[in-house]
Amino acid sequence: MFDYLLLEVRRTLRDVGFVIGGVAMPVMMYLLFTNLGENSGGWKAASMVGMAAYGAVGSALNTGGGVAEDRAIGWLRQLRVTPMTPRQVVAGRALTGSVTVLPAIVAVLAAGGLVNGVRLAAWQWGAIALLLWLGSVPFTLLGLGNGYRLTAQTTGVANMTCNLGLSVLGGLWFPVTLFPGWLRAVSAFTPTHGFARLGTAIVEGHAPAASAVLVLAVWLLAFGSYAALSYRRHAGNV
Amino acid sequence: MMKKTGTPSAVSFTGAVKTYGTVRAVDGVDLRIARGETVALLGRNGAGKSTTISLLLGLTEPEAGTVELFGVAPERAVRAGRVGAMLQEARAVPRVTVRELVSFVAGRYPSPMPVAQALELAGIAELAGRRVDRLSGGQTQRVRFAVALAGNPSLIVLDEPTAALDVEARRAFWDSMRAYARRGHTVLFSTHYLEEADAHADRILVIDRGRIVADGTGEQLRRAAGGNLVSFDLAGRGTEGLTLLPGVRSLEVRGERALLRTDDSDAAVIALAELGAIRGLEVAPASLDDAFLALTSRTRKTV
Repeated sequence: MFDYLLLEVRRTLRDVGFVIGGVAMPVMMYLLFTNLGENSGGWKAASMVGMAAYGAVGSALNTGGGVAEDRAIGWLRQLRVTPMTPRQVVAGRALTGSVTVLPAIVAVLAAGGLVNGVRLAAWQWGAIALLLWLGSVPFTLLGLGNGYRLTAQTTGVANMTCNLGLSVLGGLWFPVTLFPGWLRAVSAFTPTHGFARLGTAIVEGHAPAASAVLVLAVWLLAFGSYAALSYRRHAGNV
Repeated sequence: MMKKTGTPSAVSFTGAVKTYGTVRAVDGVDLRIARGETVALLGRNGAGKSTTISLLLGLTEPEAGTVELFGVAPERAVRAGRVGAMLQEARAVPRVTVRELVSFVAGRYPSPMPVAQALELAGIAELAGRRVDRLSGGQTQRVRFAVALAGNPSLIVLDEPTAALDVEARRAFWDSMRAYARRGHTVLFSTHYLEEADAHADRILVIDRGRIVADGTGEQLRRAAGGNLVSFDLAGRGTEGLTLLPGVRSLEVRGERALLRTDDSDAAVIALAELGAIRGLEVAPASLDDAFLALTSRTRKTV
């Protein structure tokens, strides 16, 4: 299965669309959003977490796009006639997602530290990267759910909609304090908001709030079930 | 069936049925393929070739009957690395090189052949470092062949392997396939080209409307379909009574000419001479095409 992971990670990193959309874009947006006009140091750190989260969500969803593509070209069907078990294939794909979220997280954090002069303790950098990495799992599952269920084209659209919708709504682009009250209430329950709060808590120097972890855990369960359902319904006819 | 004695067949179908809605895509197929045989599954589009292959590979389950590979369920044989397949309509895997792809697949099997050898056999050694999605159609097809044989499986299944290949690429492909078969492996390929089945298989299974309608060598099929074709100009006379002539099995009219399919062309010609019907007479052995048409058009009346 390690070979499969290696193969798929390679394929993902060679995808120009992935590198631009999943890694370069969040970095550019981060630098843009934090260097136009007057910005406080606090916003530079908060936006760093937000944009790293945004990049991670995009990369995680991209895994589902890969699945849809592989279904369309018959690669998943080809794998079914090799000795690999379906379980290994799915697990390999999920792990691929967990590896390919790393470039976006690392790149945005690096831009924060090196370009924007965000100063944090070593443990904070490590903890933020680790939490954003772990917290991206629900989004990988959401992507897989889409990828197994939809065609390659619709998966692209669905992932893009999920990515932009959840990112904006979850306050990854702009601070939720700018939202009207009702929207802020909605935002609190989005998976992306819970995801970003894992990182912002560390920036503020304390452990993530239980409510953030809870919100994310509920979404993990929901997206996990969605992925399992999509897989069970549709994997038979890949 | 005496299938429990001796080593089990490479492939065995017993009364296999698979329906899609109201269509019986595979309608009670019985077949055995011994180890080391090269067999063609011949049929027109929609005859049930691909469904038969899906059943064989365990990609779909039969609704009735059984399918076994080497005496076990297809899925088990596949997991054990005894099967390699080139599926229909699979496209190039993007963003990997030929070597990466073939090495990866080879690595899934318990006793693969060296990657260099697989590439050599498929005739793509010089493409090893190229990206799969930047190859021509013929080259991609050969990469897919290399993927099928990389694990050195006992049975290799090729679903319409030469569809969309030009003449040159087709010839190169068959050379590769024969080289693989010579190593003692069992090969099953599907095709709707008669000449390919005749030229490259030890045995041809003709499938039509989900049933195996003939099973034998090209020569046997020709004979089974009925010896010779007698044709002559009708020159305005009617066709009544022609099918009743001795030796005649069926009649077809093409333009101004009558074509009689016969078991005994001598008797038919003598009878035609007695009728004074001989104009531009021709007697020719039935071609494999004729045999194929005769075998697959039972319900289509030729008179």
